[in-house]
Amino acid sequence: MKESPQARKLEEILRSSQLVAGGFMGYDTRPVSEIIESDCAEVSRLGQTVEQIAERMRLITEKAKQRLGCWTEIDASRRARVDEAKGFLVCPWSHPGRFAKRVTIVTTAATGQTIRWSDLNIHMIAEHCFFEGRGSAFRIEPGELVF
Amino acid sequence: MVSAVLIPVIVVSSIGAGLAAVLVACEHFIAAYGPCDVNVNNRRTLNVQGGKDLLSVLTAEKIFIPSACGGRGTCGLCKVKVNQGAGPLLPTEEPYLDEDEKKSGVRLSCQVKVRNDLKIEIPDELLAVREYVCRCDQIVDLTHDMKQFRLELREPEKIDYVPGQYIQLLTPAYEKSGEEVYRAYSISSDPAVEGAIELIIRLVPNGICTTYCFEYLDTGDEVRINGPYGDFRLSESDAPIVFIAGGSGMAPIKSMLHHMKNTNNKRSAVYYFGANKVGDLFLVDLMRRFESDLADFRFVPVVAEAESAESWDGETGLVTEAVERNLKNAPRCEAYLCGSPGMIDAAVSVLQKLGMSDDRIFYDKFA
Amino acid sequence: MNIEIELSRALVVFVSAIFTQNILLAYFLGLCPFIGVSREIKTAFGLGLAVIFVMTSTSLLNWLAYHYVLEPLGLHFFRFILFIVIIAAFVQFTEMVVDRFSPVLYQNLGVFLPLITVNCAILGASLFMVIRDYGFIVTIGYGLGSGIGWFLAIIAMAGIRQKLANDRIPRGLQGAGITLIIAGIMALAFTGFTGVLQAR
Repeated sequence: MKESPQARKLEEILRSSQLVAGGFMGYDTRPVSEIIESDCAEVSRLGQTVEQIAERMRLITEKAKQRLGCWTEIDASRRARVDEAKGFLVCPWSHPGRFAKRVTIVTTAATGQTIRWSDLNIHMIAEHCFFEGRGSAFRIEPGELVF
Repeated sequence: MVSAVLIPVIVVSSIGAGLAAVLVACEHFIAAYGPCDVNVNNRRTLNVQGGKDLLSVLTAEKIFIPSACGGRGTCGLCKVKVNQGAGPLLPTEEPYLDEDEKKSGVRLSCQVKVRNDLKIEIPDELLAVREYVCRCDQIVDLTHDMKQFRLELREPEKIDYVPGQYIQLLTPAYEKSGEEVYRAYSISSDPAVEGAIELIIRLVPNGICTTYCFEYLDTGDEVRINGPYGDFRLSESDAPIVFIAGGSGMAPIKSMLHHMKNTNNKRSAVYYFGANKVGDLFLVDLMRRFESDLADFRFVPVVAEAESAESWDGETGLVTEAVERNLKNAPRCEAYLCGSPGMIDAAVSVLQKLGMSDDRIFYDKFA
Repeated sequence: MNIEIELSRALVVFVSAIFTQNILLAYFLGLCPFIGVSREIKTAFGLGLAVIFVMTSTSLLNWLAYHYVLEPLGLHFFRFILFIVIIAAFVQFTEMVVDRFSPVLYQNLGVFLPLITVNCAILGASLFMVIRDYGFIVTIGYGLGSGIGWFLAIIAMAGIRQKLANDRIPRGLQGAGITLIIAGIMALAFTGFTGVLQAR
């Protein structure tokens, strides 16, 4: 499908390391629009909206933030921790907005599973339905965020 | 027969070529802007080729305007006041400028194209910023995710900085990152030691610069930096000092402590250093030496969660909790904070609660 | 070639190109930017002017190329290639001029400025000029008229869409859907002009 220059530029930035090392796409060769569509479909299949998912992520980050890097219980089987670095990230889409380099790490005791996200991920999920390409360091499967 | 094929081909090709030549000529006259003069702060005039954006032009002339988005117009950091010659405000600049800025001619330099002579104003400190070529001559492991880098200044050989300032480190393109990127780090070294500076850097997962520094940079490698930047520094007053900094936030504080020792500064100071575990503490010996070298300095490490295997009899819990417990004369003190945005916000609210007024709280905000 | 006859013919062709044979509303050429850039009157105005400029100039340039290069050499079949090459070069030139004299408009038009090259209305005008065997002066009238007709249509559409901006339109029809419906209604209105002028 013919892409507008904006879409091409977006894809270029997502694949480059201009904003984060390794880019946002991992080893995924699918075009961005396809990734977003398939993840959006998955979210609807799970009976949720991206706004609900992002809101829950935000609440967890808020709670864990208070503890300045120490673990917090967020429910019966999960704990969360926030790691912050100085500086900020801009969103690859071209609109204003700066996001702190804040990484929230959530572990589930029962399964040993660990997921992590940054403030930028919360924004990209809420506004652009973008969960990052497969193989990217900060990709999260929509299913992992539904609990 | 041959001519029937040849003639049309020649005709169409020559018309195509002719048009291309005309376009090139037009571009030469219409799109080229010729040499332009850029007057900076009435102190320096740059003579540059027109047609490029102001940010690239300034960077090429070694005037480093902050930028985080590579000139796309999405970070809003590259603001420059253009007094003359700017042209109309572009829609891409609108979201980043408030009414006062628009009225006084502030623009995003990455969106302003240099088409004619310009008169611009930038903060004076930016004019004093220079680029330095250094050689990394020592890398020391401080903790599992923290290293200290010593950079010997090659060209120029001296840097003039105030303790508390930072430099920008140029990360070259490497395996994990295709473009050059600048990242800011506070100078942690003793200002009296000339010819070299030290940086304390913490590994950020997937961080472009820290991954380069930890996994690719070796002693003997060339490193480029520019600076110094920032107005985080000790004030001239006599008020007692409260330092609150965790992790790599120690860097500017360490430089300030060296300076206090060098200048025999008698101000009373206490440094609350927050760490998650005992293993995250570093340079404790150096801090203890400062305790004996300085007139009135106390180092208070605060460990959030001491593991049962380690013996720890110092302060525990969050660093902000320790400050709340121990700081008695807050309204008289001045606070110097350096750390993550979350820690700074929490510390500021605790200090305000203890009665410290906002104009006595100073912090290093890279964000 | 009687100048008076040519001029009166040019005038008739000019008026009919705007109303009775509007290249957009009667022949449905140039719909892509019509739908894409008709959200705001300001940008539609800028694009419309650019189209008038390109359409008039390329019709003339193509007339010259057809009658002085292709016809003498018997290469009529090359008109498609040649016209497109001339249009592309001319649009490049227009881009340079717009960027130089109005960077704000250049930014607002974005990708639609170079897309004028593949606007079928531009090529269509040149091809009609050949099919109907217009003389030079008549071509001026035709190119200018078609351009103004296209300009009128997009301004009208932008005006209507700006008025509708706050109305509730069913989700499936938002954007291109409602625009095409509006275009159809406008086209219906313009067929009312058929028969007013007999333009040949």
